[in-house]
Amino acid sequence: MSPRVVVAGTGAICAAGKSPEEIWDAVWTGRPAIRPIQRWDTAGWPTALAGEIAGSDPRALVEDRKVHRLVQRSDLLGLYAAGRALDDSGFVAYREALEPPAAAAVNDRTGIYVGMGGGSYQTEYEFFPLLTTANGDLGTFGRELAATVNPMWLLRSMPNNVLCHIGIRFGLKGPNTCLTNHSVSGSLAVAEAGAALRAGEADRALAVGHDAPIEPQMVLYYHQLGLLSADGLWPFDTRRSGSLLGEGAAALFLETESAAADRHVRVYGEFVGSGCTTEAEGLLAIRADGDGPAGAIAFALDDAGMRPAEVGMIVAHGSGTRESDASEAAAIRRVFGPSIPPVTAFKWAFGHPLAASGILDSVLALVALDHGVVPGVPTLRELDPDLGDLPLSAQPQLPRSNVALVLNRGFGGSSTALVYRAAASEAS
Amino acid sequence: MTGSPRRVAITGLGLVTPLGNDVPTTWHALLAGRSGVAPITHFDASGFPVRIAAEVKKLDPRHVIEDRKLLELADPSHVLGLIAAEEALRDAGIRPESSDATRWACVVGSGKVGLGYRELAEVHRHCAPDGDFHPDRLLTDGFAMDHRAFWRSQTCAGLALLLHRFGIRGYATSVHTACASGSQAIGTAMKLIRRGTADYVLAGGFDSMVNPIGLSSFCLLGALSTDNETPERASRPFDATRNGFVLGEGAGLLVLEGWEAARRRGARIYAELAGDGNSLSSYRITDSHPSGDGPIQAMRQALAAAGVRPEEVDYLNAHGTSTLMNDRSECAAVRAVFGSHAGRIGVSSTKSLMGHLIAGAGAVEAAVCALAIHHGVLPVNANLAAPDPECDLDFVRGQARMRRVRVAISNSFGFGGSNSCLALRNPDQVER
Repeated sequence: MSPRVVVAGTGAICAAGKSPEEIWDAVWTGRPAIRPIQRWDTAGWPTALAGEIAGSDPRALVEDRKVHRLVQRSDLLGLYAAGRALDDSGFVAYREALEPPAAAAVNDRTGIYVGMGGGSYQTEYEFFPLLTTANGDLGTFGRELAATVNPMWLLRSMPNNVLCHIGIRFGLKGPNTCLTNHSVSGSLAVAEAGAALRAGEADRALAVGHDAPIEPQMVLYYHQLGLLSADGLWPFDTRRSGSLLGEGAAALFLETESAAADRHVRVYGEFVGSGCTTEAEGLLAIRADGDGPAGAIAFALDDAGMRPAEVGMIVAHGSGTRESDASEAAAIRRVFGPSIPPVTAFKWAFGHPLAASGILDSVLALVALDHGVVPGVPTLRELDPDLGDLPLSAQPQLPRSNVALVLNRGFGGSSTALVYRAAASEAS
Repeated sequence: MTGSPRRVAITGLGLVTPLGNDVPTTWHALLAGRSGVAPITHFDASGFPVRIAAEVKKLDPRHVIEDRKLLELADPSHVLGLIAAEEALRDAGIRPESSDATRWACVVGSGKVGLGYRELAEVHRHCAPDGDFHPDRLLTDGFAMDHRAFWRSQTCAGLALLLHRFGIRGYATSVHTACASGSQAIGTAMKLIRRGTADYVLAGGFDSMVNPIGLSSFCLLGALSTDNETPERASRPFDATRNGFVLGEGAGLLVLEGWEAARRRGARIYAELAGDGNSLSSYRITDSHPSGDGPIQAMRQALAAAGVRPEEVDYLNAHGTSTLMNDRSECAAVRAVFGSHAGRIGVSSTKSLMGHLIAGAGAVEAAVCALAIHHGVLPVNANLAAPDPECDLDFVRGQARMRRVRVAISNSFGFGGSNSCLALRNPDQVER
């Protein structure tokens, strides 16, 4: 038998708060953190709303100042959430109490799986002064390079920075990877960390997802593709008109059940399965019938050894675009038939933090399971009748079991589904 | 662990490298010891401190991919990946069908993409001619609004193009751990089959940083050899006079499938993909520890996962970047893992001929290991005139070496500290 995998620490940051508790509080009390963008003057912009993390300088989130000049904004968010999850787990204190050889063995058996979204155009703009100097001449560009651009430029822009710097800071040396698959990256980080623990490749693993896409050029691209709303993010609502970008990071510290028992820690819940599919329709196209997400749910339930009826609540991707929400609802109907468990979605509260979204939703799903409630979607005025009879409400609902299904979708027609069970069931 | 894991077969190979635009051409150049390093032709590099690279040569993608719209959405590295994938699937003799498409997965190590130089220069001309960025000017910049440039800049774009072109509908992701990307992707792919997530995987890596921004980024770090006058000699891993790596570009894609299914359909099996080791150095961003800590764990895990004794390993395709820190650390790690057997393993870094393909390197080198097993030949470690005394392994010097290979391992170590080691077993060694 594969070992059971438990969640022993969580961390999160987004527009709605700097800890899982703060974000949960905003969600539970219905306080969306989507506001006009502050980072640049958006007068005249076709869309100017986003879920920005307040405060202009994310460097304050990461104590080690040596790291500041070596990473980008998204990395700082990821490092913060990852550090909080490790702090929360009590792992470092546990390791410090061990003899050095035992501590070294623990480090070799602790993995890191990171999901990140994409590069930052802002970091590429650091070549602008050089381009001005070169004035179109590549010869000059090459000759003036060293005098003009930060020698650490490549290191700053590496996609795997969070993996690197969390490893160095905490001395973790186990299996690892950095997944770069747009919005499902963070979900895949959880899936791969969980699979590594089940396969015996590690005893513990940190899963992290981070993204910071709120940049002028990025916002315009998303707008041009028709993905952004001009007025608000209203998942599954008749009036929904698109998504809005968010930013943030979240992390789960996973352990095998026996590794967690060795430390006598409180666990938040259990990771019980994952599924991933694509629709192969191209970069943006998605199928109306929800084939991709339906397949991901089926794979995840199969991986968890569960029937649909055992699922107690669904955290939908609910990005707020017409097509994504409609096809997601179709997928849910297809898998669950007439007996759909309560559905909720969280992006109305903090926007769509792309690669961080699935893992951030996972952190909140674990809180929801712990509280035994399904938060409402307070932006919901009228459930789109075209979506069928989806049990989605502006008011909180009760889950029908202690199992949560977290859905996530990204570019390239990718879909993931993650299954978690509340901690309480472990005693039974 | 649950029972005995499913055995994984490598049944298809596809390569686009600086040595050739397919597997046979690349392999023949490797055996002949022909270098793919030359003066840069993709752009005017005359002002750069480094003016040489290992470029893919004379590639006309339209001969392979008739879909013009697809090519417009592809970054140069994606084109390499698409062409190598085409060859790998043809070589394997299977393709995803609508009946089994969700049992096909795709895991690729893809390069660090962003806006290309041309796009960045356009945005600069319109929005930052004085060097300072004026966001409002984007609103009237047609080029910045070109969604094709956006797609090409996405980290998942190469993956999405592969999925779309070949109709793969199961698990899919791209990974990026710098120079370990391609190798980690293949290791992840192997595990997908072992854990039952997929029956077939198109796995590998592709990268192209031979452009003004990519070349700049490594020049700034001082990581590249500046032997502009002797390009063919510039990459000389483990040589006492080495002075940095040579930037290359390329793609390697492999078709992996369950062993029994491959046997049943009578597939040609190049090798068993038998084990994967994956560790993090957590030491420095760009170096591994001089003791080999990090790579040591990766190699040990790969052997353990493959159920291989150190004495069974006959060939090591080294990471061998041709930088002092890497080469010495890797040799120390090999000695630590293999002890007295270390001197009996034939070792070569094929980067000596094809340069460093970054996110594509580990995938191409895994394919080279499969070919070494298949043909019973170890490719040469070129340009090794005077080995660094600190690097005293049995390097394949002078010319390729005939040798039956029971087990080959391939090392890939990335900036950021990820270490990946793959173990491949000769099909004849597999007990049935």
